[in-house]
Amino acid sequence: MSDKAIDIYVRPEFEVGALKDATNVDVERQLSLVERISNINAVRKMSILLGLVVLWQGYTMIVQPEPLLFPSFFASAEVLWETILSGEMFEKVWISLYVLLLGYAAGLAIAAIFLVLAVSTRIGSDFLSTMTAMFQPLPAISLLPLAMLWFGLGIPSLVFVTIHSVLWAVALSTHVGFMGVSETLRMVGRNYGLRSIPYILKILVPAAFPAILIGLKIGWAFAWRTLIGAELVFGAAAGKGGLGWMIFEKGDNLDTEYVFAALFMVILVGLVVENVIFRNIELNTINKWGMQR
Amino acid sequence: MADVKAISLFIRPEFENPAVETAVVGDIERRLSMWERISNMDPVRKFTVLVTLVVAWELYTRIGGINELMFPTFTKTFIALVDALMNAGLLTNIWNSLSLLVTGYVIGISIAAVLVVLGVWTRFGSDLLTTLTAMLNPLPAIALLPLAMIWFGLGNQAVIFTLLHSIIWPVALNTHAGFQGVSETMRMVGRNYGLKGLPYIVKILIPAAFPSILTGLRIGWAFAWRTLIAAELVFGGQVMDTSGQLGSEGSNAGGLGWIIFQNQMENQTPYVFAGLFTVIIVGIVIENGLFRNVEDRTIRKWGMQQS
Repeated sequence: MSDKAIDIYVRPEFEVGALKDATNVDVERQLSLVERISNINAVRKMSILLGLVVLWQGYTMIVQPEPLLFPSFFASAEVLWETILSGEMFEKVWISLYVLLLGYAAGLAIAAIFLVLAVSTRIGSDFLSTMTAMFQPLPAISLLPLAMLWFGLGIPSLVFVTIHSVLWAVALSTHVGFMGVSETLRMVGRNYGLRSIPYILKILVPAAFPAILIGLKIGWAFAWRTLIGAELVFGAAAGKGGLGWMIFEKGDNLDTEYVFAALFMVILVGLVVENVIFRNIELNTINKWGMQR
Repeated sequence: MADVKAISLFIRPEFENPAVETAVVGDIERRLSMWERISNMDPVRKFTVLVTLVVAWELYTRIGGINELMFPTFTKTFIALVDALMNAGLLTNIWNSLSLLVTGYVIGISIAAVLVVLGVWTRFGSDLLTTLTAMLNPLPAIALLPLAMIWFGLGNQAVIFTLLHSIIWPVALNTHAGFQGVSETMRMVGRNYGLKGLPYIVKILIPAAFPSILTGLRIGWAFAWRTLIAAELVFGGQVMDTSGQLGSEGSNAGGLGWIIFQNQMENQTPYVFAGLFTVIIVGIVIENGLFRNVEDRTIRKWGMQQS
C-alpha cells in the first residue's frame, strides 16, 4: 500500500452569461436546381447513356475508323430503324424467340417429370442428382455437333440444345429448393392428406418458389446464350435463322452496322425478358407473398 | 330462463377388460439388413445409378444395332477417350482451353474490380456501373464473337475479348449488389477504425459481401466456360472455311470445343463423346474441386452459410 497523494483537478463551476441568439443556421435549405435534378436516378442514368452515345459518335466522327470495322452510332441506329420498319428484324427476333420458347417449354416439362419422380421415390432423387451433377457443368452448346448429327440441320437440333441448357439448371435449383422446404410446411400438407401431385403443387412449389424462380432465370440466361451461340455455329450451314444467324451473316459480309443493330435487339430482348417478364412474376409472387423484400 | 330443458347425459358404464395380454416389448432396436445398410449409403446409390446408365447405354447401342456414327457404344467411347489422352494429346487441348480461360478470367476480374471500386467511391461510378451491367449483362458474350473477329482477327485475342465480356458483367453486378447490402453497422466499424479507400474495401466490404462475390465468380465461370466452348466451335467453322491454320491436322493448337467440332466433322463420333466427357470432367473438377474448396475455407468457415 503506497500512500501517494493523488491530485485531482476539479474544474470550478461557471455559468456563461451571454449566449448569443442562434443566427445564420441554415437548417432547411432548398437544394439547388442542379442538385435536385441530379438526385433523380433516371436522369443520371439517361445522361450516362447519352454520354456513351455521344462518346461513340464523337469517336467515329473524329478518329474516323473504317466504318466496316466500327460504324458510327447513327449509322447503326438508322439500320436498326430500317430493319424494324421493313419487318426483317421482327422476323429474326420471332424465329429466335420461337425456338427459345419451344425449348424452354419442353425443358420445363421434362424437368417437371424428373422432379415428380425425385420427390416421390428415393431412386428418382438419386437419379436426378446424379444427372444434374453430370450435365450441369456441360455447356449445352457442345452438344450441338451431336444434335446436328442426330436431328439434322434445323430447328430440332436447336430445340435439343436449348432443352439441355434449361433442363438441368431448372431441375437442380428446384430440387435443392424442394429439399429445403421446412418440415412444418410438409407436415401441414400431410395433415391435409395431400399426396403426390397435389402435395407438390400446393406445398412444395409455393414454398420453394424463390429457388424455382432463380432456376428459371438461370435457365433462361443459359438458354438465350446457348441459342445465340448455336445460331452462330449454324451460320455456316442453315439457310434461315434468327438473331444469332443475322449477327454471323452480317459479320461475315462486313455489314457491321447490321451487326450492331442485331446486338441492340439482343440486348433489348434480354432486358424485356429479365426486367419486364421475370420482374413481374417476382413482384406478383414472392414479393407479394413476403418471401423476398 | 323460461323453459328449462332436461339434458340427458349418457354415462358409459364402467367395465374392466379382463383379457389384456402381458405387454411384450417389441422389436425396438433392430439391426438393418445388409442390403438396407448398403443401399443407405449415398455414394453407393449414386454410383449404381451411373453404372446402370452406362449399362443401359451399352445395351441400347449393342442390341438396338445403332449406327456407330450416330451413337457409339460406351466401350468405344471409353477406348477413344483413353486413346485421345494417350496418343492424340488431349491434355494439350485441355491445357489450351484452360489457359485461355484463366487468362480471360484474371483480366476480367481485374476490370470488374476497377469498375466496382469506382462504383464504391463515387456516385457517378456507381451509376455508370449499374447502367453498363443492366445493358450488357443480358447480351450473350458469344454474340460479340463476330465483331471480335473483325476487330482482332482470328485468334486468341478475339476469344479472350468475348471471355472478358462474359466474366466482367456478372462479377461486377453481383459484387456491387453485395457491397450495397453490407450492413451499416459493419461500415461504421470500418469508419471507426479510420479505414478509407482501398483498405476500407478490402477489409470491410469484401469479407462482408463475400457470399455474393463468390456467386458472381461462379456465374462468371459458368458463362465463361460456355462461351469458350461455343467460341471454339464457331471458330472451328471459320477456320475450316479459311486457312486451316489453327488446329489443322496433327497439331494440337485448338481447345476442347475445337476437338469436338473437328471430330464431328470427320465423323469420329466416339471421339466427340470423349471430348464431351472431358468437358464434363473439367467442369466438375472446377466446380466441385475449386469453388467448393474456396467456399469451405471462406464463407462456410466464417459461418456465413450453413451446411
